[in-house]
Amino acid sequence: MTLDFSILGTVWPALLRGTTVTISLTSIVLLCATPGGIAVALLRSAPSPTVRTIVRAASWIFRGVPPLLLLFLAFFGLPVVGLTLPPMPSAVIAMTAYMSFYFGEVFHSGLQSVAHGQWQACKALGLSPARTLFRIILPQTIPAALPPYISHATEILKGTALAAAVAVPELTNAAKQVFVVTYRPFEILLAAGAIYAVLDAGLLILQLYGERWAARRRAAR
Amino acid sequence: MSYHDLFIQYYPSLLQGLWTTLLLSAVTLLIATPLALAIALIRETGSRWVAIPLAILVNAIRLLPALLVLFFVFYATPQLGYRLQPLTAAMIGLSIMGAAYMSEDFRGCIAAIDSGQYKAAKALGLSHLHTLRRIILPQAFPLAIPPYMTRAIIMVKATSLASMVAVADLTAAASRATSITYEPFLFLVFAGLGYLLISGFLALLQSWAEAKIARAYRLAPR
Repeated sequence: MTLDFSILGTVWPALLRGTTVTISLTSIVLLCATPGGIAVALLRSAPSPTVRTIVRAASWIFRGVPPLLLLFLAFFGLPVVGLTLPPMPSAVIAMTAYMSFYFGEVFHSGLQSVAHGQWQACKALGLSPARTLFRIILPQTIPAALPPYISHATEILKGTALAAAVAVPELTNAAKQVFVVTYRPFEILLAAGAIYAVLDAGLLILQLYGERWAARRRAAR
Repeated sequence: MSYHDLFIQYYPSLLQGLWTTLLLSAVTLLIATPLALAIALIRETGSRWVAIPLAILVNAIRLLPALLVLFFVFYATPQLGYRLQPLTAAMIGLSIMGAAYMSEDFRGCIAAIDSGQYKAAKALGLSHLHTLRRIILPQAFPLAIPPYMTRAIIMVKATSLASMVAVADLTAAASRATSITYEPFLFLVFAGLGYLLISGFLALLQSWAEAKIARAYRLAPR
């Protein structure tokens, strides 16, 4: 058997289209799951014990079930509750749902790293809870949460491959579509892998800068 | 048909799927664990000429989506002249992925042991293997329990990807029953409960192992 990478000359438009879908899916999920994660983290330290218990249970369930199963659940389940969506939005909903809980854990431990006394001090100074959160707590949380945040972002990128299962035309799906007609899975999957590696590398460089910035912030404190 | 009838009808295939998932989980853990330990030991204490290529390989694998690796093992190997059964391909792909990530967990635990101990063992005339076996690994072992169990749970969840290369695991059985009956919740929720049961069992195993090791090593309770 000989490898023939010239096949990539004919299939690259399909891979490129897949790459753009992968990038947009990753960005949309990142944009939706970040506020979702902040909400989960705040609810996990809500005053009501009932809310805390419910959020912890939901977090355990969403992080304990395979993401693929949640994608199927959104794909088959949403139309039944009256929400008939194309594959891409249903994949976004499923991925946002579980990534919010993963981010929730990251932000929760970030929030924990800020001494609880600061909330009380701000209250004593007459700051509103929202102002306390945005001006006092979050600026200290971000340096602690940034490195795990970006490593979870690479998990989103790699996780988008699962959307192939619900017919989203992202990179892995695009690769499969072209190798089943060209019979060249080796070369095409290798090329797809290289594209994922490049995208991941972009995020890892961001992480490197983020970690340096976080270290400076901690040193300045 | 009522939920009950549907469930009775598809119960055998779901149970079969659950067994396949358990088998796949057990086999991938059994293959990945020694492989990961070997990779971690070589990268932490072995010759640089083996450690550097291994580091490149491990990090390259960690950059890729697990599904892509599975596709590669299943669809690309026939091009090289090996035709693998779906279950075999899934076992190989998932073990490779698991071992790459697990070796990083183990590496952290080995690195946590003070490097002065290698020098002390050398000064006492212990061989390299003897040092690893009697000095380093017994101390790294209790540190490795929590990340190992977390990794094991992740690997159990990852076995659901095998459904994408035609393995009839729990996810495949549930999604097949779902697409035949158009009943969206019953089977998928059942499958979800199956996975939660497995990871719940592993979490219990973790707290049992941690308590046992804390006693055996006389560690202060945390």
